[in-house]
This record gives sequence, C-alpha cells and structure tokens, in this order.
Amino acid sequence: MPITKLDQMFEVLASRTKKRLVAAWAVDAHTVVAAAEGVKKGIIEATLVGDEAQIVAVCNQHQIDPNIFTIVQADNDITAANLAVSLINEGKGDFLMKGLLSTDRYMKAILNKETGLMNPGAVLSHVTVIEPPTYHKLLIVGDVAIIPLPDLNQKIAITNYLIKAAKLLGIEKPKVGLVAPSEQVLPKVISSVEASIISKMSHRGQIKDAIVEGPLGMDVIIDKESADIKGLKSEVCGDADCILFPAIEAGNVFYKTMTKFCGAELCAIVMGARVPAVLSSRGDSEQTKLYSIALAAMMA
Amino acid sequence: MIKTLTELVETVKAKGTKTRIAVVSAEDSNTLGAVVRAAVEGFILPILLGNPEKIKSLCQVEELPLDESWILPCDNEAEAAAQAVSMIHAGEADVLMKGLIGTDKFLKAVLNKEKGLLPPKAVMSYVCALELPRYHKLLFISDTAVIPFPDLDQKIAMTNYAVKMALSFGIEQPKVALISATEKPGAAFPASLEYAQISKMAERGQIKNCVIDGPLDIFLACDPGSLEIKGVDTPIGGDADVLIFPNIESANSFYKGLMLFAGGELAGLIQGTIAPVVVMSRSESAESKYYCIALSCLMAEDK
Repeated sequence: MPITKLDQMFEVLASRTKKRLVAAWAVDAHTVVAAAEGVKKGIIEATLVGDEAQIVAVCNQHQIDPNIFTIVQADNDITAANLAVSLINEGKGDFLMKGLLSTDRYMKAILNKETGLMNPGAVLSHVTVIEPPTYHKLLIVGDVAIIPLPDLNQKIAITNYLIKAAKLLGIEKPKVGLVAPSEQVLPKVISSVEASIISKMSHRGQIKDAIVEGPLGMDVIIDKESADIKGLKSEVCGDADCILFPAIEAGNVFYKTMTKFCGAELCAIVMGARVPAVLSSRGDSEQTKLYSIALAAMMA
Repeated sequence: MIKTLTELVETVKAKGTKTRIAVVSAEDSNTLGAVVRAAVEGFILPILLGNPEKIKSLCQVEELPLDESWILPCDNEAEAAAQAVSMIHAGEADVLMKGLIGTDKFLKAVLNKEKGLLPPKAVMSYVCALELPRYHKLLFISDTAVIPFPDLDQKIAMTNYAVKMALSFGIEQPKVALISATEKPGAAFPASLEYAQISKMAERGQIKNCVIDGPLDIFLACDPGSLEIKGVDTPIGGDADVLIFPNIESANSFYKGLMLFAGGELAGLIQGTIAPVVVMSRSESAESKYYCIALSCLMAEDK
C-alpha cells in the first residue's frame, strides 16, 4: 500500500525494527525535542552527539528523560559532526540528523573524502515530500535546497533519488514529471531539452522502475484536465508522484508556496550519502522535523 | 502504395504526363542513357542543355534513339546551369538534372541567392529510396550526400523531407528511426541527445504525419527479431520506413555498402529546392539513374 499521508509513515515504522538516529551537536531544544518525539512514538532509537551537560539541561527544561537517548560526549560542533559521521560508519546508527551546527559544517563532515559518508562520484541531493491538501497523493520533489542548477547527470541522479524515495514510500512504479515551461520541446530551453533526454532514457530502461515524462508544464503534471485539453496522453499527467525541477529556484518557490499558501505539510531529507541525512532548519515546524525523522527512517 | 522502384516507374508512367527535365551539360553517356530511356518510355520530356554535336555523337556511339528537338544548345557549363535554373523559375521545366558539369558548378547555380532554387533559410538535403533484396519494403534514408554533419534543425528538416517523400509513395504514418550505434541516449553520442528531442517533438505533434523513435540501432529499426532480444519497446518495431543518420559518413557508407554487397538499388533526390534536383554519382548503376529520374517525376508531381 502506498503511503498517501505523511502520518501513515508512523504506522509503517511502528511495525518495523527501529532505525537508529544519530544527531550531530544535538544541544538545542529543536533537535532534542524532535528526537524525543520520535523515540516516544516508538519509531526510532536516538543517539545524541554533543555536550552532555547541555543536552541534559535541555531535556530537563522540556520534561524529557535523558535516559531515552544514548548520549555521546563531544566538546564542540565540528567534533560532534565528525563523531556522528564516524558512528554511522561504524554501523552504530542508520541515519544522520543535523543539530545546532551550521549546514556548512554538517555537510563538510558528510562530504569529507576520507571520513565522510559519500561514495566516490555520488551526487548529494535534497528530496522533499509534500502533502498538499488539494492533491490525492504525496508529491516527492527535488532539488529544492542543495544543487542550484543541476546538469544532465545531476538531474538523472536526482530523478533516481525521487524514484527511490517514492518506492520506499510504497509506490510501486512512481510517475515522474519533468518540469519545463511547456510540454512542447523547445530546443533553446535547456530544461526542455534535458527533459526530453531523461524521458527517453527512462523509456530505454536507463532509468528503471518508473514512468518518467517530460518536458511537461507544471499544470499538466498535477492536473489531468489541463493535460486532456492539451491532448497529452501520458500516464504521468494529473497523477504524478514525483516532480523534477530544472533549477533550485523553481523547486524552492514551489515548496515554500505549498506550505505558506496552501497549508501543505512536508518533510525532507538529503540523499546520496551512504545513509539518509535530516537537514531541518530552525524555521521548520516541530511536525516537519518529526516527519523528516520518520522519512529518513523509512529511507534508511 | 509504392513498394518497389519498379512500381515507382509504373506509377509515374501510369500518370500519363511527361515531366520536363532540364539536363545541365547533357553530353555525358551515363546521363543520356537514363534520360533517353525514360523519354522513350514516355514519362519525361528531356531538355538537353549542352553541346549538340557531342550529345549527338554520344547517342550514336551508345545507340540511343535521340530526338534532336530535345537539344538546347549551350556554349558552356555555367551558362547551361544558369539557363536550366531560369527555366525552372519560368515554368518551362519541372526538374533540374546534373549532367557532365562538376557538382560544384552545378550546385552554385542551384544555390545562387537571387536566381537559385533554394528558398531563403531552407535546408538543402538529400534523400534516397533504397530497394533491398532482404528488406520487405523501400527504405528512405538521409543524408547520404549533402549535409556532412547535420545539427538539430537540419536533422529535423531531413526527417521532414524523408517523411514527405515516403508520403508521396503512399506510405501512411511512415515510421522514422533515428540511427545511432545504440538505443540508449548518452553524452558519448551527441546525436543521440538530439534524437531524444526529435522523437519527443513527434510525440508532442511538433513533427507531423509520422511516428519517430530514436536513438535506435539498425537492428532495432529494421529487424523485428532484435526487439525481443534487446527488450526494447519502440513504435518502429523493426519495421522502419525512414532512417535518419547522424552524419554523412554513416549514411553514405550504409547505402554504398548495401549497393555493393547486398545488391541494392536506389533512387535519390536533393530536397529543399523549389523543384526536384537530380544529382547522380557516376558510380551509380544505370538502373539507379533511371530510378532517380522516375523519383524526380513523382516528387515534381507532389510538389
């Protein structure tokens, strides 16, 4: 059964072996509370890497029993990030989460060539899962946060991550729409050209387990009626599970619009490293953070 | 539907009209052989521009039944070419054909910006109809002769010309295969990336009256048996009518290889001009030259 609401992730995870979260520099209330929520829901185990005194103090302030966590002492944020990554590499955790440290430092620890979490040549990208109130299923979109202007190979990598995420959410053969200004092939518009190529590659089995169609306008991707009017016959139209954006601005504006104007819930993870990584920002709601932890656990 | 080059000739003959063909520098025995044969069979009216004495003596040597009224005396090649082109514009000839004149000089007249036969911005290309003993129908291929390394727009133009020719043969919704070494698009084969766009354009109705898929290799394009082996799902289904090649070397080698080793015959024509232009290479068989003339008659009709 495909997951169509983010809440359904909790039910699925409750019936599985608990995945082990490792949070880097988890000394702030946001991170500690979100991790505690995950543990209380019974969906994860959590290791918090950071200054133990600070972590215990935060727990006390929020009526959380520190003993629900495994706490690993680290004196500062950089040490904590490297330690968290090495715990993952030692097999002591299944996915990573960012605490109070800057995104730069967090990513640096992941990307470190010797001690990090990247396989050679892998593309690191960001996958967001949105639950729009006015759509009949979840929308899995990328890249809204990491790769500013993906080239063809990066787009292919992102497409594969979207497909992988969709499959792990129970969607057997995800339908992927490749966003361009229009469904017409416009040789001067790079998004349109590359969408044609990716779509053909999928048809030839170079991208597997999915139906990938593009170029498509945003309208026909999410609205069957628009597609019918335009005479487009793709199965993707009006029923897309995944959306590939040609540039970060497009994806970023889309997800922010979905949350602020449409009241959509969402969550996100970083894919491409050996394990999923949660990269929540302070602006995210508690709910988003918990969903992101759940999503990472689903993907781990 | 015309399925063989013999049927092409029969179709042209059955129309009962005589296509007027202006032959530039007709004093060439190969050319005269094919032209006189078509004229005797009644489907063309030759206009032989060139040296009357040479034309007569060549016909004598080759025992060709020349009608001297076909001859239009011209002092030199350049003049013959210019005059033949102007006859097309004046509606006095339907088809232009190259005789002994060098291809360079001949095309110069065709491509002349003020007086030539190519509309502004039109792409000039070459399409061949191949008849192969081991293929179940004619195969239209491009570009074997004019564009060395076609870009995206030229490939689209080539496709449209080949489709137009296939339609003239009565083939509905011709199946166009965009040929590469593999069916998988990839940066290693730049043409394959353009093919992905062209086939998507056809899917979106930007290229009409045909079915297009590519990249495909020759097997997937022309051999239904390979589809299953390779597990590729393509609307061409090993039943291609048209093959578009990524460059002139591949197209040229394809047809010449088939002529030489597989006993193929062909009819080819320059495309993009306001009237059909016949340019035959000396190495082509007398039969192929005759078929080129018949093809020009068919396409002049469908202009």
